[in-house]
Amino acid sequence: MSSSVVSSLHQELKQSFEVLRANRAVWERALADCEPLLSAIGNIAVQLQALRHVQLANTPLHSFPGLHERLHYKLSLAVDSALGKLAENMDALQRARDAIGRQVSAVFQFYERNTHTLDIAACVSRSAVCPSVSDMLEWLQDSERHYRLQLVQRRTLLQTLTPSDLVLMETAPGRWASLHTSAGEERVTDALCQVSFFMETE
Amino acid sequence: MSESTTPGKKGNLTGSARKLKDNAADWHNLILKWERLNDEGSTIATKIVNLGLNKKSNMESDVLMEGGSLAAGDHSKNLKQSNQELEEECVKLQDVVDKMANILSKMEKMVSDERGICELEAFQYGEKGRAEPLFHTWPTHQFAEVSSKLYESYKQELALKKTILQELAHTSNADLSMVYLSSWLYQPYIDDSGKLLLESLLLETGHRPL
Amino acid sequence: MTNTEGVKVLPADAADTHTQRCRMGPALMSRLGLRLGSPVLIRVLQGACVCTAWPRRDLADGFLQISTQCSTPGLDTLINPHIKPLKCPKLTSVSVKVFVRNPKHTSESVHELLEGLYVHEGHLVNLGVDTEIRFVLVETVNSGSQKAGLVTARTRVDVVAIQSVKHMERRKVSGSTLGGVEDVCASLKEMITFPLRYPAVLRTLGLSCPRGLLLIGPPGVGKTLLVRHVAQDIGAALVTVNGPDVTGSRPGESEENLRRVFDQARAEAEEGPCVLLIDEIDSLCPRRTESSGAPENRLVAQLLTLMDAIGSREGFVIIGATNQPDALDPALRRPGRFDREVIIGVPSLLQRRSILTSVCREMPLSPDVDLNAVAEMTCGFVGADLSALSREAALQAMRHAQAGASEPVSMQHFMRALRHVRPSCLRSSIGATDFKRISWEEIGGLEDVKLKLKQSIEWPMRFPEALVRMGVPRPRGVLLYGPPGCAKTSLVKAAASSSHCTFFSISAAQLFSPYVGDSEKTLAQLFAQARACAPSIVFLDEIDSMVGSRADSALSHSVQSQVLSVLLTELDGVGVRAVERRSEGGRVAQVEGGEQEDTRTRQMELQEVCNKDVLIVAATNRADVLDSALLRPGRLDQMIYVPPPDREARLAVLHVCTARVPLHPDVCLQDLADLTELFSGADLENLCKEAALLALREEGLGVSCVRHEFFMKALRILSPSLSPEQLQQNFHSCLY
Repeated sequence: MSSSVVSSLHQELKQSFEVLRANRAVWERALADCEPLLSAIGNIAVQLQALRHVQLANTPLHSFPGLHERLHYKLSLAVDSALGKLAENMDALQRARDAIGRQVSAVFQFYERNTHTLDIAACVSRSAVCPSVSDMLEWLQDSERHYRLQLVQRRTLLQTLTPSDLVLMETAPGRWASLHTSAGEERVTDALCQVSFFMETE
Repeated sequence: MSESTTPGKKGNLTGSARKLKDNAADWHNLILKWERLNDEGSTIATKIVNLGLNKKSNMESDVLMEGGSLAAGDHSKNLKQSNQELEEECVKLQDVVDKMANILSKMEKMVSDERGICELEAFQYGEKGRAEPLFHTWPTHQFAEVSSKLYESYKQELALKKTILQELAHTSNADLSMVYLSSWLYQPYIDDSGKLLLESLLLETGHRPL
Repeated sequence: MTNTEGVKVLPADAADTHTQRCRMGPALMSRLGLRLGSPVLIRVLQGACVCTAWPRRDLADGFLQISTQCSTPGLDTLINPHIKPLKCPKLTSVSVKVFVRNPKHTSESVHELLEGLYVHEGHLVNLGVDTEIRFVLVETVNSGSQKAGLVTARTRVDVVAIQSVKHMERRKVSGSTLGGVEDVCASLKEMITFPLRYPAVLRTLGLSCPRGLLLIGPPGVGKTLLVRHVAQDIGAALVTVNGPDVTGSRPGESEENLRRVFDQARAEAEEGPCVLLIDEIDSLCPRRTESSGAPENRLVAQLLTLMDAIGSREGFVIIGATNQPDALDPALRRPGRFDREVIIGVPSLLQRRSILTSVCREMPLSPDVDLNAVAEMTCGFVGADLSALSREAALQAMRHAQAGASEPVSMQHFMRALRHVRPSCLRSSIGATDFKRISWEEIGGLEDVKLKLKQSIEWPMRFPEALVRMGVPRPRGVLLYGPPGCAKTSLVKAAASSSHCTFFSISAAQLFSPYVGDSEKTLAQLFAQARACAPSIVFLDEIDSMVGSRADSALSHSVQSQVLSVLLTELDGVGVRAVERRSEGGRVAQVEGGEQEDTRTRQMELQEVCNKDVLIVAATNRADVLDSALLRPGRLDQMIYVPPPDREARLAVLHVCTARVPLHPDVCLQDLADLTELFSGADLENLCKEAALLALREEGLGVSCVRHEFFMKALRILSPSLSPEQLQQNFHSCLY
């Protein structure tokens, strides 16, 4: 095996982890922006629910013409605007995921092109400062998978939200929060921690 | 008396045009102020509803704890405190509504002023009105109409808010309280056309660049 | 052959469960020529799965951890894995069937979920993430000759079908086979699947397929199991209603519950075939009574409305199961509602054998177990009893086995289990008796009587073909008469023991009750049960006290004459009640095996066809008072006189009675036989007992044998119970 292949693979890997780190920050910011929007949607759903339950004709509000329709319209409008903003954030998440995915598939392609010079023994050897190629590829694959699945799940959740199903909307913030898998996040964090020395070596 | 002016020439306006332009700016400011008051009021109203719900749940737990005199005494103290708090918040909300009423009266005044301008014009130029518009395209009576529309929606809104103010602290129905709160916050009678009217008013009078 | 000899298979790490990774040692990876993440096909005993090869974190060789994310459906145990490197091209397109939690929400994200996975035709991918789509079944992949490939961002993913996860889980369960109800099973299947398979044909014929079916049968014959099995087999959803679940205390609650169940079934029917099983429907819909306000009446009305509302919805079938069809409201049993009625009777001999084969399929049986013999012995057993029997036999085997060692279940275990498990149709029934089995040899003398009894009881049961061949009709009833104490009862017991049939015995004391009509009902019920458990023997001891004679005017309107008329009807009634009908085992069972097995089967079939009757055996010592109608041919046509023992017989009886008594050499049984003229069998038994007691009394408890003198002493104390007049009387009736 040639050491030049190993070192260029290491370069690829370093770059991949750089991309991962940068895009993780982007991802988390976008995700943080989604939180208040989701809770707003949940709140509006509660209000719509209340509106549905109350017979305005039997309340002190009976004298206000078209109040029910007007209020419903206003609330729906608010939902739409929140969903619109969420869609923007989803685009940001998508971009972060795409960047990670591109980089990871690039590094895998590089590895596959050079398998004839990289035997298994070389791929699994690790040292105190440098994790093995196998470890790092695995981490990258895991991270890519994590972000890909997270995106799908979150997007699916948003797609189910329509003003016609208030219960789904009401539970949306909770379900959104439950999608956060600490295990997946931790694996990304762990991977980034474990490569920190490797990243500093030249 | 040369009243035909071109917008943009500031300080050159006199008479009706001057008045209309000032009114447009006032509309803008008053509505902003209204929105601020609305947000403020919404916070207070939420607090009132929460206090009311707490009080209710406290009262329910009181019934449960009839036996313990000590606990009951504690509760009555709590109750007194929360009642006082509730009253304070209601006074605050009253204050907000009063301010809104004040704004509305200013709006009313503007509407009547603009009607006056229209009448004046009719007196000056006859039924057809003036040949050239005061600003860009609007005939004078359109200012009055826009103002009146805006005024009507805020007037309805204020009536709604007054009702809410009266009922808010007394309703025990959680759903109804929620409807009060969302009606306060989302102001159902101030619709998008109102915003559009205001924007075109500002455009017409040259507050917004074309 | 596997290439993983000596490698231990461990469960996959939690983190790896849904990563499609197969962890192995680096040495194995190099040996197989795998790079990091190479796709491999792992074949195991039950199926296969596609994985990517990755080294273990600790780099240890000798272990294998397999993620079964993409595997053949139903794969759970991984034995003898064989790893084969796969050449996986990137797929241009793949068509899949997706299983979602809620079919209402379909999303287009399958592609993203599958991206980066290696898939194989026919494999099920467990996505393992919390989305609507839980599983993806790969139907076809487009990659030339290869059946596997990698899904990339450029792969086109076609969703050919969307089904709910519940639907898939139903398909996964492979049903256990049912024995003996093939014909009912087939008819059920046909009913459910016809409208689904040939909707066009049915439409052109203008047929609306039957929507309801009523299963009738005694408890334990497997009605519920059958429905479950059929539903599983054809992949239909099964919604079960239990009577008690539906009924609520609030007025209207029951109807509401019923409506909810129907709604549920209807929702299921949207997706695929659906079977609504109403178990114990008789408790839900009893016969409507006069008082119109009763809650049951409303419930029946609701059920009728719901059933009528189903219309011709395809693939929706309602099955009611009951063991008391008479208690059902008649409105339910008309065409359009429950149009078909299927009766499952108590299993016949062949059916029992097939049930036994199916319940013992998983059991290690030792070669001496003859299920045919067990089937012959388990007359009257229903499916539930037979499975209890096999369970009990297995338990017996376990009890016998030394700790740790597993012993195959042998015939002896079955025999022991037979003693514990009684047929459920005999439980709580009136005449069922648990008698000690007696062999012919235990009855001394009476050889010609024994022969006659064998002819009329044992032969028809055991060698029916010979009788059929000779055109001999089997007797309907046998009357044993003769002086008391001459072993009439013992003879019947011996006959019942040797012919392996259900044995019912009833005496006058059991029959008579202070309530009007009760006795007749009891007797009719007894016969109904006997027919259900046919072939069976009904033994009426002391029949003279039960029925008397109609000629005797004193009895003309008494209970006894009523009982007599019931008995006469039961003896040669027009037919069997429809409910008690037995399924015809006419079809030749396909048996793999030699000629011997074949003949055995044929013999069993014959036996089954011939043995559907109830044999009535009556005993009396006053044949003269019996009604003549009872004694005419076709009823108790076989009359056997059980005479008081003559000298030879007495000797034989004495031999039997003293078989366990240590006799002094001076005892001469010949002499005793000479001296015991007019002694009945019972007297002789008593004599031996008395002699032994005398010996104990006079020579102390340490006595070792009975001497002749004690017999003589006992003889002096005892007097014969028979009298010459009595014998005369019996002779008279014999001639009469």
